[in-house]
Parts: sequence; structure tokens; C-alpha cells
Amino acid sequence: MAKRKETVSTDVRGDKLEITPLGAGNEVGRSSVFMTFKGKNILFDCGIHPAYSGLAALPFFDEIDLSTVDILLVTHFHLDHAASLPYVTEKTAFKGKVYMTHATKAIYKLLLLDFVRVSKVAVEDMLYDEHDLERSMAKIEVIDYHQTVEVDGIRFWAYTAGHVLGAAMFMVDVAGVRVLYTGDYSREEDRHLRAAEMPPFSPDVCIIESTYGVQIHQPRAVRERRFTEIIASTVMQGGRVLIPAFALGRAQELLLIMEEYWAAHPEIQHVPIYYASPLAQKSLLVYQTYINSMNDRIRGQFEIDNPFNFKFISNLRSIREFEDVGPSVVMASPGMLQSGMSRQLFDMWCQDKRNACIVPGYSVEGTLASTILKEPKEVVLQSGLPVPLRMSVHYISFSAHADYTQTSDFLTELRPPNIILVHGEANEMGRLKSKLNTVFAGTDIKVLTPKNTQTVELHFTSEKTAKTVGRLAAETPGEGTQVGGLLVKKGFTYQLMDPADLHTYTQLSSGSVLQRQSLPYRGSFFSLRQRLEQLYEGVVTVDKAEVESLSVHGVVTVRHESDELLVMEWASDPIADMVADSVVALVLQLDAGASEKRLALVGTGSVSERDELRLRRRLLRDLFGTVDLDEEAKVLTVKMDGVQAKFDYESKELECEDEQMADRIRTAFRRMDAAVHPLKV
Amino acid sequence: MGTAVRFMPLCGVLSEDPLCYLLQVDNFSILLDCGWNDSFDPVLLENVKSHISDIDAVLLSHPDTSHLGALPYLMGKLGLAAPVYATLPVAKLGHLYMYDHVLSRQAVSDFDTFDLDDVDFAFNSMETIKYAENRVLSGKGAGITISAHAAGHLVGGTLWKISKDGEDIIYAVDYNHRKERHLNGTVLLNFVRPAVLITDAYNALSVQTPQKQRDQEFLEAVQGTLRTGGSVLVPVDTAGRVLEVLLCLEHYWGSNRAYQGFPVALLTSVSYNVVDFAKSSLEWMAENIGKHFERARANAFDLRHTTLCHSLEDLAALAHGPKVVLASMGSLETGFSRLLLEEWTEQPGNLIIFPERGQPSSLARFLQQVPTPPRVSLTLSEKIPLEGEELEKHRQEQALLQKQKLEEETRAREQLGAVKAEEEERVAELEAAQDAGPSGASLQVAAEPGGGPVPPVPAESAKRKVFIDGFELPPGAVHPMFPDAEEPKEWDEYGEVIDPDEYRQKEDDPMDLGRNLAEAQGGRAAAPEPEAVPEEDPMLIDDRPSKVVTKQVELDVRCKVRYVDMEGRPDGRSMKNIIEHVAPIKTILVHGTREATENLRRFCESKSGASVHTPDVNQWVDVSSAVGAYRVKLTEEMMSGVTFRKMGDYEVGWVDSQVGPPETQEQTTEYGAVEKSQLLPLLPLRGGDAPGHKAVLVGEVKLSDFRQVLASAGVPARFADGALHCGKHVVVRKVAQQQQLVIEGALSEDYYKVRDLLYSQFYIV
Repeated sequence: MAKRKETVSTDVRGDKLEITPLGAGNEVGRSSVFMTFKGKNILFDCGIHPAYSGLAALPFFDEIDLSTVDILLVTHFHLDHAASLPYVTEKTAFKGKVYMTHATKAIYKLLLLDFVRVSKVAVEDMLYDEHDLERSMAKIEVIDYHQTVEVDGIRFWAYTAGHVLGAAMFMVDVAGVRVLYTGDYSREEDRHLRAAEMPPFSPDVCIIESTYGVQIHQPRAVRERRFTEIIASTVMQGGRVLIPAFALGRAQELLLIMEEYWAAHPEIQHVPIYYASPLAQKSLLVYQTYINSMNDRIRGQFEIDNPFNFKFISNLRSIREFEDVGPSVVMASPGMLQSGMSRQLFDMWCQDKRNACIVPGYSVEGTLASTILKEPKEVVLQSGLPVPLRMSVHYISFSAHADYTQTSDFLTELRPPNIILVHGEANEMGRLKSKLNTVFAGTDIKVLTPKNTQTVELHFTSEKTAKTVGRLAAETPGEGTQVGGLLVKKGFTYQLMDPADLHTYTQLSSGSVLQRQSLPYRGSFFSLRQRLEQLYEGVVTVDKAEVESLSVHGVVTVRHESDELLVMEWASDPIADMVADSVVALVLQLDAGASEKRLALVGTGSVSERDELRLRRRLLRDLFGTVDLDEEAKVLTVKMDGVQAKFDYESKELECEDEQMADRIRTAFRRMDAAVHPLKV
Repeated sequence: MGTAVRFMPLCGVLSEDPLCYLLQVDNFSILLDCGWNDSFDPVLLENVKSHISDIDAVLLSHPDTSHLGALPYLMGKLGLAAPVYATLPVAKLGHLYMYDHVLSRQAVSDFDTFDLDDVDFAFNSMETIKYAENRVLSGKGAGITISAHAAGHLVGGTLWKISKDGEDIIYAVDYNHRKERHLNGTVLLNFVRPAVLITDAYNALSVQTPQKQRDQEFLEAVQGTLRTGGSVLVPVDTAGRVLEVLLCLEHYWGSNRAYQGFPVALLTSVSYNVVDFAKSSLEWMAENIGKHFERARANAFDLRHTTLCHSLEDLAALAHGPKVVLASMGSLETGFSRLLLEEWTEQPGNLIIFPERGQPSSLARFLQQVPTPPRVSLTLSEKIPLEGEELEKHRQEQALLQKQKLEEETRAREQLGAVKAEEEERVAELEAAQDAGPSGASLQVAAEPGGGPVPPVPAESAKRKVFIDGFELPPGAVHPMFPDAEEPKEWDEYGEVIDPDEYRQKEDDPMDLGRNLAEAQGGRAAAPEPEAVPEEDPMLIDDRPSKVVTKQVELDVRCKVRYVDMEGRPDGRSMKNIIEHVAPIKTILVHGTREATENLRRFCESKSGASVHTPDVNQWVDVSSAVGAYRVKLTEEMMSGVTFRKMGDYEVGWVDSQVGPPETQEQTTEYGAVEKSQLLPLLPLRGGDAPGHKAVLVGEVKLSDFRQVLASAGVPARFADGALHCGKHVVVRKVAQQQQLVIEGALSEDYYKVRDLLYSQFYIV
């Protein structure tokens, strides 16, 4: 682990996977994890920190170049996972694609609109306004669970995560390396949500939340009983119950619990339950619409009657509508008593010891909710007045985060070789890390806890494989066979094929260019032919041609179109082009009236053989010194440093005692062959 | 080595019959759709019958009758037991479709080809799949991945991709490439070069005016009729295109206050359920519907101007006067539309407007003829409760039947053995005594469990019934008693060893409590309703003895009859464009008249030159790819010698290599299946020189593009006689069909310049 480098590596061939938490590294809040591998950049979540405001609440986006991010995956609609999205899309150079589930997108807008309205305290501190939010909506694409999407070589799909409606865990596959980002997840099925799914295979890296560290939740049944008992006993004694909760998500579960309890206990049905949220009505509609994302239990209830149509719970739009007479139960947002309705009610009720406050979820360090859990004697009201805290404060977690049992079971079953913990206070995370290290002792499983902006580098030696298709795959070659063909790469997949199959298996096509060139020539066609024969092997007359034609090597055809014109025809190919060019050169030379005499000199093969032997002797003498030529026996004898080598020209055999020298002579002969003989194409 | 792929149509080729095809991938048989038509004649399924036991999986593409109508019959009556895959809307809406069919038929006849139980059985065990979800099959189908993709046309409409070893078979019937009010267009165009494309030729000959114009035509016809005081009957199918027609009407009614006085009614047995489901499946619909919901929190299927009706009484309760009624079924073979037809046809002011072509040889098809037939004769049947003498007679018959059945059973039991004969007799007596009671009472008991009085069982008989085989008196026992063994207790130095579980307080889960409560409430809430108003509950089956009365009526068609294509299918030209773009290696054409199929076949052959099959029913075609495929490992050493060049989405390079010792590789595919495959590593060539290969020019050059390239290089070029004249002496032309360019010219500087520019357009390897 090293401090992040300033530049993002652009080396596509590098197999280095880098993961950097921009937020939620050793903290809870402002989740945002950046991953880069093989030139593909992926950002998971972009939240804000609930305890800060303005730019300070953002993740450390300036650590990366947001314009290079290809995709941004948002796991669920909670502010600490999604609230900086309008900022990213509208106020930065980000130009990638954003994905979230249908339900998340619908609730995201609701929640953020509310967030914008609530946080409209200081205009200069605003990260974005309603219009930015509206515009960001247009840039969000939706993905359904299990649906595989591919963007520019990055494949990804979502699993159910539990936690809240629409929450997803994302699996990203870049060139076969798979990273699972759980977001917030829960492996426990509740009243309306499915439990998080277990991916059917092990990812290479698992980025997992660690909110509850090594804590173990009480069984759900026990928690629910405590919850309902506290509420019941408080209202029976004439007290009021305040439940500060996030407007959407877990609140719905609590409402379902209370509704059921009220339905079963007629003796307290006179006590009103209020759901004090401006979003109450709207959210109901969303919950009804996305019923297919919930579990079978609630879908079964839905067939009979809409379970979100509460009989005992009424909505409360603002504190003014609220008549505070006698016992009541109020669930109000925000969940951590920062401001707004829950805070107003808290200020009203905190001095009466009959009252109770139930904190039903995780509270971020620094918020009032986490302060009162430490049971202080005094609290400071919003007006700045310190007053004694007399109401009873209870903490019962319904936040649907995984606890230690769930996390360790999940990881033990999944067995990812690399585990990266995020979304947890440093201490909790540290405890979880050491406990996981004990669990996985003796295995290769690494547990990492990077801080914000600290990069984890992992290396993967990915194996490239290609599929051979078409003609090339007609039979499987044995060991040692030569295989040649076009290698076509698309995204991160390779195909090997015969050029002729190119248009069959790809959208590419292979074309061909036929060239027809006319050139002036007044000489005799016969002499041209002789000259060509001298230069090339395989000069043949084309039969059944209308005019006198020659084929040179079967690649170039030369036609004697008229007394003054030759036409050459060939299919483009580097070699054919070269042959054609040399023919052109030859024709031009001849046409320029170059001496016919020299042509006559060039005789039959025997002449050239003798010449060739002499030529070779001359060349060898330049290289080795003394060379004797026996013209009758056609034997060349090379003497150098007392070593003698005999080369029989007829049988092409070389006799030599010194291997090194023999090698040198052979090489020399091979080069001479190439120089002296007509071109073999 | 390659994958063997065979295809056989069981129904629905070279005609417009319902779709049903059998696809075999290696030995795995997949039934693609199992459609039926509204006449539900089992003769149509003769071909399927003989293959029932071979079928390993069923894939459904649309929720309408012609794609899944036969499913309840096949599963309920013929014992089809393979898993059925469909998207959630296809499963749910298909369920409602079949409900509507059964209910509307049972209301007027003794329809018993299949019943509601068969429908429930077929649709409750369906495997639902999301769009673009890859489902890896296991067992016999190991190696096959199926995935569903949006097809348009109907909600949840699916084109199936069946892949094995990287070869894709696409089954795409009844897709729609255009975006509509409630649906996105198909994603078929994203699939390029599949090994096999199975597609329909249904609309190959059709020519369409733009959708907007057709909508307008439809609305104008409706308006005109309403204004002149006539009513409009729109025969629709239960849960198919009706959603689009509904949105079209809703939108128009919403923006034209003048029409809001005319009621619009959706009259099917399941209209509430269909619209309710539509409301909660926005994620399967058009982007705009989802966006509208996110923006305005207004669900497009919160119908403001439409009344949902479940019976003719509901309809009668609407305001009198002109109205628009969308009634099922679209074929007019059954359902409310047929009932309304009788009433409305003879009134000249009315309009019957078909948004879809009727099924072949259906009444709808008959009426859609141009010109409209002046008379139509139809058989109407009605189910009327038995009364008076007939009722008495029926009861007696039933009682007789019951008795006979019992006697038969008794006889069968007597044969079991003489040992229990005495006992059996007693039972028979008992039952006979029961029969002697008021006639039909036993029938009542069967129909209403717990409702009838339980006859007292003689004590003796009850006691004797305890003696069953294998129960013997323990040796030494005086009375019969149940065997009981006492477990020895374990002791240690602290006393008896206890099991802590026995002392743990039983934790009852409040969630279960709530569930029971909810169910109890739900049960209570649901139960009284049907009792109070049994006639109004469409789902309640009338069990009263009844008879079917049929009458033949001749109707003068005095009302206007029109057909406006709102089917949501591509026209012939778009279909051809799409097929040309997809460019399958092999094509199979199904579902379309002989002429349409032939037309499309000729087109496909002219375009791709690839093989096109138009098999007849019960005819196998082999569409396996000619050669197989194998995987190679690209070693680093070899890859370092390859230079790639980017060509659009692709990168291309030439490889010369030598095969190394084979390796086996175990690989988990992205969806969890473990694949074992042989890998051949490709090593760089030993001994240096690569064998030469013929140069390949990769790329496609358009002459018009090339002209611009020339222009920017300063070579003047113009088109003449279909060839590009470059400079003075050089001509470049394209040889049609062959992807070949010809460059001609005299030896000149221009020639080489043009040639170099032309080469630069290709990647030459």
C-alpha cells in the first residue's frame, strides 16, 4: 500500500488492479470507491458524509480524474451512497454512464429533492440545486437484478443486497477479473425484503461493508419484541415515543412491524401512530409499484390487500399539523436527529421521563443520535439552551447491515482471495480485520483496510485465450502444428480465424483491390518474356487468352494489348505489387531502347552456371581468402587458417572438419543463393 | 465436435397458425413457444403430443394465446413436465390470458379441454427470468446458456438467445423495432452475426403507413362514431396489445375534454388484474413510462377515463348512450366481444374496429374482409341453470352415477382380500345409508368440504378401523396398546444429563405471527365477499347444475367494420432491413403465409447468400455449423510479436504460431458454471521465418468516402458511370457483390498516389 500516485496509469497492458476508497475508507458515510484495471475506470457509489455539509461532505473526488471514469454504479438510494451524484454529473468533468436499479432511481429523486430542500440553509454551501438533480435524472440508466450489461468491455450485473428496496451488490468483470462491491447488504430476510444473494462463484476481489464490525445482532425476533414492548409500555404509561428514522428504506419495515402489532393489540389501538415525513405519500406509491423487487411474503400479502395501506398509521406533513395531546408514537426523519422534524420533536419531549426515544439504526459519529446513545446528563437544544435529558433512550438496530456472523459466513462461503473492508469506523474495521485474519489463517486470503485515498494495488496475471473459429477450426491441430490467422480482439475477447471468415464472425469485412495498369511498350513481346524469365521463375503463357498474355508467378498477368500498349493486371498484395513494379521497371528499360545486344549475351542455363561458379568463387575469395575452383568437377575448395573445406556444387555437399567454418561457409552459400538465383515468390 | 443444432416446426410454418417449434441443441430439446388458437382444438397439437416426453425445456416469448395457449393443456393434460422459462410479465399476463379464456368459455359452454387448475399448475411453477439475464442450464443441458432480451410488441415480449460454445441461436418472433407508448423497441439489432436466426415472416408482405397516422385513423374513426351517437366495440385480447390501445385512448381522452363524457370500458374477466399488474411492472415498459413515473409520480396505468368491467352488468351500469368498449377476445370466437357483437352489429350507427388482424379462420378474420360481408351467421351458446323437471332429472342422474361409482369402488375393494371383507361391508352399508338420504346430498358434501353434516360413525366400526396391517398385540399384553420404549436416562456426577434445548423458551417469531394474522385477516376479508355477491365475482365458478343451449343466429352487418393496424409489428421493409443488419449465418423462417415466407426467403438469399430454411411442419432441418471451434491460449511470448491495429470496435492482428502441448483448464464462467476445456497454447514459431500468407485487406471502403479522402489529398475526383475518376488517368470502381475494388489507369504519378491513398483506407496484414 502506497500513497496514491498523482497520475493515473494509462498502460493498458498492465495487469495491475488499483482500488482506492475516496470515501468510506475507515469511516462510515460518503461511500465512494474507485477501481481501475486495464485502462477501465469504475466508480462505486458517490455519497456524502451526513456529519459534514457543503464540499466537506463530498468524497475525495479530486484524487482521481473524474472525466476518465467509464461507469458509476450506485448501490442504493441512501444519502451516504448516492447523494453526491448530481454534483458528479453536473459540476464535474464526469462523462461516464451511471447505473442503478429501477427502484433506487425512483426513490433517489424523492430523497434528494427532500435533501436539497432541507439543506437549503446557506446558498453558497449548496452542492447542487433541484435543477441539477433533475438533469442528473436524465443521465441515470437503469439495470435490473441479474441483467448483464456491457459497456466498453466492462461487464457488470447486480445481485439483490437486502438492506433497502432496490439495494444491489455489483459484480464487475473486466477482462475476466471480477470484483464484487457489496454496498450495504443484509443476509437476513425481513418483512418486505429479500436477503442478499450469495453469488454463485468467487470473485477475485470483494469490497465489503464492515459497519457492524465484530458485533453480533440479536435475533430479529428478539429485537422486534424489544421494540414493540418499549413502545407499548411507554404509551400505556402515557408517554410519547419518538423514532428518528431515515424517511425511506428501513422506515417502511418499522411501520410494517408497528402496524402488525397494533392490529394484534386492540387495547392500544387508540394511540395514534404518525409517520412524519413529507415523502410518506409519495414513497407509498413507489413501494406499491416496485412490489416485484420485494420478497414473496409481502407479494403474497399484496395479492390480498396492499400491506402498505396502513390502517393505524397516519401521515404527518409538518409539525404544525401535529396535536401533542396524550400518548403517541411518531416516526420522523431525519434519522440521526440532525435537524428537521425529528429534532423538533426531540427538543419538545426530551425533558419528560415518561417519554422514550428509540434509535432504530446506525448513527454516524458526531450526530445528536450518537451523542444521546452515550447517555449524557444534558443535551443542547437547537436554540442553544442546555437542558437535562430525562427521556429514556434505546438503541435497537433495524438498519439491515450485516453483522459479524453474516459477514464471516458470507466471506467463508464466497472465499474471495482479496477482501477489502470499507464503510466502517476505524476501530470496528480493525477488529473485524483481525478476526477475519484468524478465520482465514493458513489460507491465501488477504484482508485489507485502506484509508481514504489510499490505493490498494493488486496484480493479476490474466491468461489470454482465444477461440478459433471457422475454417481454421476445421480440425484441431496437434502439437507442433503451425497455426496462422487473423487475431481479432473485441473488448477483452479474442477470436482467431481465417481471413476469409472475417465477415462471417465479425462486422469487419476483408476487401480486395484489383489493379489494372497500362503502360506504353513498343518492343517485341518475345524479348519482354525472355527478360522476365531471366528475372523470375514461373513465367508462363496464358492459354486461351484473346491477346498474347504472360503470367508471372501466377500473380501478375501481362497482356500485349496492342503494338504500343501493355496491360498488367494483378490483385493487390505487397509481393504482387513488388513484382508488378519490377515488371514496370523492366518494361520501361526495354522500351527506352536499352540494348538488344545485352539480351543476346544472356544465354542458356549452362553458360550462366559456369558464370555462376566463377562468381561464387570471386565472392568466397572476398570472404575467406584462398579459393580454388575445379570447373570440370564443379568443386570449390576453400582454405583458411590451415583448414580446408570442399564444396561440391553438383551435390551441394560440404566437406569440412571445422564445424564453425562449415557453418560460416553454409551461411555464405545461402546468401549467395538468394542473390544469384531468380526470385522464388 | 461442433454443436449439433436441429430444428423442427410442430405448428405454425408456411401459415399463420399458432407458433410451436422444437429446437435441439446437441441432445437437449427446447420447445420454443407452444401456441394455440382461440378454438382450442386439440387436433392442432397432434404433432406436439408425440414429442412431449422428449422436451427438456420450454421457452415462451409472448404472453398471448398464439405463443403460450397450449401450455395449460400440455402440462395439465398431456403431462409435459419440463421447466418453463419466461419473463415475469409473460408468466403473469399469460396466466391472466388463460384465465380469461377458461372463464369466458365456461360461462357459456361446458368447456373442459383444460380448466383453471391446469392454468394455475402451468403458470405457478414457471421459472422467471429478467431481460439480459444469462441463465446457465445444468444437467442434460450443461453448457447451454439462455437469455431473454426485449422484443417489444407485448409487455415482457422476449427474443431468446440460446448459446452453446459461443454459438448463438436467436429466436425472434413478433418483435417490434419501434418505440411505442408502453414499450421500448426490440434490441434485436444488437445481435450481429448469430449462427442461427429463427424469425417470422408474418408481416413480410405488409406495407404500413406511419404509426402516428394509424393512431390518428383509429381515433378519428372512434370520434366520428361517438359524435354521431354510435358505440364503438374494440375486440381486443386479454392482456396484449390492449395496453397500447388503452394508453392511446387515455391520452386522447385526457387531452380532449369534449370526449370525457363518453365512457371507455375495458371488459374482460380479468381487466382489474391486468391493469393492476401493468401498474407494478413499469420496469418492463418503455423508458418514458418509467421516467414519467419518476418525474411526476403518475403511473401511466392509473387509468382516469377507463372503467374496468368484469361483466355485462358492470357495463350496463355505465352511462347510457355512445361509449367505447374494449372487450376480449380479439378473435370474436368467445368472450364478451362475441356477446356484444350480437347486440351491436345490426345497429347502423355502431362501429367495430379491430386493432389487430384476427386469427386465421376466426370470426374476426371473416369480418375483416374487404368489402365487409353483409351477413354473418354465428352460433351462440348460453349456459342456463337447470330448473324444475330438468333439475330433478339431473340430480337423479348424478345420484345414480355416484352410486355406481361407489359400487365399483366397493367391488374393487372386495377383491383386495377376504380378511377385511366384513369391515368393508360395513363401510359400504354406511355409505349406502348416506346415499339413501336426500338426493344430491353427497354431491354437496364433495363440493363444500365441512359444509355438509358429518354422518355419525358407529363406534364399533371406528374402533375396528384402528386395526391396520402390521399392528399386533405385543406379547404378554392384555389390551392392545401402542408400542413404547423407555429411553434409559444418562447420569453423570452432577445428576441427570439434561438437554438445554428442552428448557429454552420457545421464541415465536413476531413476523410469523404477523403473517398468520394477515392471512387470517385476508381470509376474513376475502371470504365474505363472494358469499354476499356471488354473481359479481368473476373468479367464482358457478357450480349450479346447468345446461348449454346453442342457437344459430344470422346477423346483418349494418354497423361499420374497420381494421386499423395497431399490432406493433414491423412492416415488410423494416423486417428486411433488420434481417440484413443482423446478417445471420443461417436463417429459419417460420410463422407467415406461404407467400410471405417465400418473399422473405428470396430476400434473405439475395442479400447474404447464406442458407435460408423454410421447413414444413414435422420436417427436421439441420442448422449445425459446418465446423467446430477450439480454444487456444495466447502466450505472452507469442503476443509480444503481434501488432494490433484498431478497426472500429475491433483490433486486428496477424498471428503466426506453433501449437504447444495441450493443457486442460478449469474455468468458472461468469454465471457460476464450471467449464472444463482443453486449451492449446500458441507459442511463437521456432526456426524464425513465418510462412508467407496472402495479404488481407481488412476494412470496407465506400467510394464516396474515398472521394473525400482524395479531395483532402489534393487529387480531384468525380463520379461518372458509377466509377470514381481520379485525376486524369485513373479510375476506381467497385465490383458489386464481391467487396472488390478495381483501380485502373495508365502508368503515371497519379496512379501511385491514388493507390497509396486507397491502401491507407485498409489495414493490410
